[in-house]
Amino acid sequence: MALLAMGLLSACGGGDTAATPSAPPPPVPVASVSKPEAFRFLNQASFGATETEAARLISMGNINTAYAAWIDAEIAKPASTLLPAVEAAYPNPVPVGFNIASLNAPRVEKWFANTLRGSDQLRGRVAWALSQIFVVSQIGALQNLPSATADFYDLLARDALGDYRTLLQDVTLHPAMGVYLSMLGNQKAVAGTNLRPDENYAREVMQLMSIGLVELDLDGSVRRDAGGQPIPTYDQSIIEGFARVFTGWKWACPTTNPACTFTNVRPQIAPLPGYNQILPMRLYAAQHETGTKKLLSGVTLPANQSGEMDLQMALDNIANHPNVAPFMSRQLIQKLVTSNPSPAYVRRIATLFNNDGTGRRGNLAAVVRAILLDAEARPAGQGIAPVAPGKVKEPLLRLTQLWRAYDARAASGKTGVARNFGGGVSNVFGQGPGLSPSVFNFYSPSYAPPGEIANQGMVAPELQLATEYLNTQVTNYFWTQAVARTITQSPALNVDDMYIDTSEEIGVAADSTLLVNRVAERLLGGATNISPELATLVRAQVDRSTSANTRVADAVYFIAISPEYTLQR
Amino acid sequence: MNKQRRKFLQAAAAGGAAYAFGRTSGTVYAQSVGVGGFPDYKALVCLFMFGGNDSWNMVVPTSTAEYNAYSTSRGGEAGVGSGLAIPQASLLPINALNSNLNGVTFGLHPSMTGMQSLFESQRAAVIANVGPLIRPTTKAQYLTPGWDLPPQLFSHNDQQDQWHSLRGTSLLKSGWGGRVADLLAARTADQQLPLNVSLAGQTYFQAGLNARPYVMGSTGATTFAGFGTTGVNLARRQTFDAIVNGTLASTSNTAYERSYASVQQRAVQYADRVNTALLAGRSFTALPDSGVTLSPLATQLRTVAKMISVRSSLAMSRQIFFVSVGGFDTHDDLLADQPGLLGGVSSAVKSFYDALTEMSMEQSVTLFTHSDFARTLTSNGDGSDHAWGGLQFVVGGAVRGRTIYGSYPLLQIGSPQDVGGGRFIPAVSVDQYASTLANWFGVADADLGSIAPSINNFPQRNLGFMM
Repeated sequence: MALLAMGLLSACGGGDTAATPSAPPPPVPVASVSKPEAFRFLNQASFGATETEAARLISMGNINTAYAAWIDAEIAKPASTLLPAVEAAYPNPVPVGFNIASLNAPRVEKWFANTLRGSDQLRGRVAWALSQIFVVSQIGALQNLPSATADFYDLLARDALGDYRTLLQDVTLHPAMGVYLSMLGNQKAVAGTNLRPDENYAREVMQLMSIGLVELDLDGSVRRDAGGQPIPTYDQSIIEGFARVFTGWKWACPTTNPACTFTNVRPQIAPLPGYNQILPMRLYAAQHETGTKKLLSGVTLPANQSGEMDLQMALDNIANHPNVAPFMSRQLIQKLVTSNPSPAYVRRIATLFNNDGTGRRGNLAAVVRAILLDAEARPAGQGIAPVAPGKVKEPLLRLTQLWRAYDARAASGKTGVARNFGGGVSNVFGQGPGLSPSVFNFYSPSYAPPGEIANQGMVAPELQLATEYLNTQVTNYFWTQAVARTITQSPALNVDDMYIDTSEEIGVAADSTLLVNRVAERLLGGATNISPELATLVRAQVDRSTSANTRVADAVYFIAISPEYTLQR
Repeated sequence: MNKQRRKFLQAAAAGGAAYAFGRTSGTVYAQSVGVGGFPDYKALVCLFMFGGNDSWNMVVPTSTAEYNAYSTSRGGEAGVGSGLAIPQASLLPINALNSNLNGVTFGLHPSMTGMQSLFESQRAAVIANVGPLIRPTTKAQYLTPGWDLPPQLFSHNDQQDQWHSLRGTSLLKSGWGGRVADLLAARTADQQLPLNVSLAGQTYFQAGLNARPYVMGSTGATTFAGFGTTGVNLARRQTFDAIVNGTLASTSNTAYERSYASVQQRAVQYADRVNTALLAGRSFTALPDSGVTLSPLATQLRTVAKMISVRSSLAMSRQIFFVSVGGFDTHDDLLADQPGLLGGVSSAVKSFYDALTEMSMEQSVTLFTHSDFARTLTSNGDGSDHAWGGLQFVVGGAVRGRTIYGSYPLLQIGSPQDVGGGRFIPAVSVDQYASTLANWFGVADADLGSIAPSINNFPQRNLGFMM
């Protein structure tokens, strides 16, 4: 504790030393990051801590410098991509009757490859968080547009540590979002008929991707009227205003080509050079609503502006709304660090969202950096106990952490193809990239399971997936992985089956103490980071068998499905 | 349109009383919280159509004036420009027993032959223009600042929450199915499973303040791998239980860990019970175990039927099942998608009803539909947007069928119930709809307020569609 306080003081530029008349005491060395703390950080900032990455982080400095150094290095890394893997999988030429939806599989497979082996872990983790806020899904109208879905995810990775306003515009004009929330092809009202603009994107971009339903204070608290009711951020007339803004946009097509009309333009299915599945939508001016448009904050757009100008001003109108900072900050904190941030934590991050110190608004790299370096994410001490508020790990991130920790791979070199999950990752884990059941993501940021958590006014979004059914699926997955898909069994496996490298565990399998400690080092960040109760029970189970494989399987299984591993501290 | 019909439609909309038969349900218990179990078995099956079913194309007026109003509002018939109206001649005629329709006739979407057969044989009823409300509301009241309205009208998740919870402007954390389970806890204490069972994931509808639902797979309970009855496999189960129980007993860990552990505990316990019971589960000709590929919805309903068939071995006397089907958010491609969506619901529900008759349980089981909202009558080009009141079906042998309850509005833009674009203020509330079902299920009239918090704001506590 004292060490840390000293460290913080020096980091802040030193205290008042006038009260120390004689020679200053010898400098106390600032502590290194401990392995449990490194694990905590890497489980927040990557797809799962590994001993290798923890050692690298620890080597980057002390508790005041290592995290920031790691983050800054990550911010500089370019984004891993999904689109090339999808494009490479297209047959050339695409035969008539080809099952284009099958090309969603290489996207998911590449997502696992990037997640397990990609160097840009922080960017990837933030992109994954953003993909749960700016949601598109192959389930539905995008099924036969696999390039668009892949490119949309790549957009999120590219913009993940850039500007919010840029992200909002790129998302808005991406044809994947255009198709998913039906802004693509949205047309103006026709006088004398009951035809009027589509309200889908107008509603969801405000509700889910920027400001939310109700007015928020900077600390994320809901603002209430005199009667105690939350104050809505918008009403139907504002939705209709934005719906009118978002008219006239459809697939890209050269403006010089007279065949490119709003009615005729179609998605290009094969990956031709510059094909429109991966190009921003373009305006077809004749279909753009020309009247005035009522927006947020009392703004009304004048009539007869260009569609492009309307869009710019409308996105500025959203991005400058005071709700954006607390709304986005709270959700990013929830997805990276804790389900229940304190209002002060949200306020600190939202303040930085509004101005990063250089006058920039919506600087996502600065926001993510601050979220991870905040005192609430990096509590004092070398934490074995879950002193931070924490969260439940997403089911899929429990898997990616295990796979990363055990260097999982398949003989074919592929990473996580569908057969590993009996058909699809979301069948087992309730989630997967581009696999949300709806625009509302796999779970709600405000979900509170009945009982203790709801009664305390807390939330635990990820527990919306913790049904008896899905918990059984996930638990069984870890059993199969631990007992039947390890390096020992690898020669007998299908070439695409992911197996984990438990050879170190096999080496110490005869000694249950050594074995349990080894697994705890790998999955929990230390042999002192497993509770004595859990360690005792797992050792006793291990000792029920003399088979090295069974002993290792039980140790890995019981720690991987334990409440302790499920918690992100 | 003749004056008489218009008068009827307006009167019906104002009070929602026009179609109702009366208020009594077949069995009225003086108390919900009685001593001892129920002497009989009853089940409710909630079928949620996620996304907002465009139900104005599901039950459509066929008499000329009303059809023409509908067709005009929808931009004309399918295939003509952006029109969304189902062609008049293709609608499946239904012959409601209502004495108060004043010549207005209705038909079902052409894909709904199963539902047509259920309706005509008095096994299905339509609840017309039902939706979330806090009190009866006119358009003038809707436009009055400060009037009690469910917050965030026309938003998917908020309106789903309203259907699930009936919470109005309160912050209730329970759903109405969950509250039924809380209320009947003492009378169902010997049940081996929670009163609420979901075949379609976690739902707010089934969350009680105390009672928690059981979420099982759509084909049954999944067994835990690696567990057995002897040796190391038995020990593994015991180790699993010990870790879970130790976590639940500890106070030095977090609420997150305890909440996760409690699900693990329930999963393993209930899987044992369900799988043991389902060994004796029966098969159904109407929902076969093999030979045909059932839709996901029909698969869920087949499992519900099997669970009902083993009710005695699990000591179940009251059950609420939740099943769902998605894809109803038809901002695009409405006309292309509706035959599959509505036809899928119709055929799955008909097969489910037939399966119930195979085990003579049709009098004891009532299926009812929910959906986020109906959709705008007006077209956005090839689809429709989020609206409010709409139509729902109730199906079962205990339903007073072949009748339209609630009030079917005149489908005219700018009509007294239209708040813009063909978004209709509901004529009856979900509170009334739920209360009627809960009353049949065994919730006493005096207790309906704890199930449906706004029910006392409405003149009718029971819409009369249950025997």
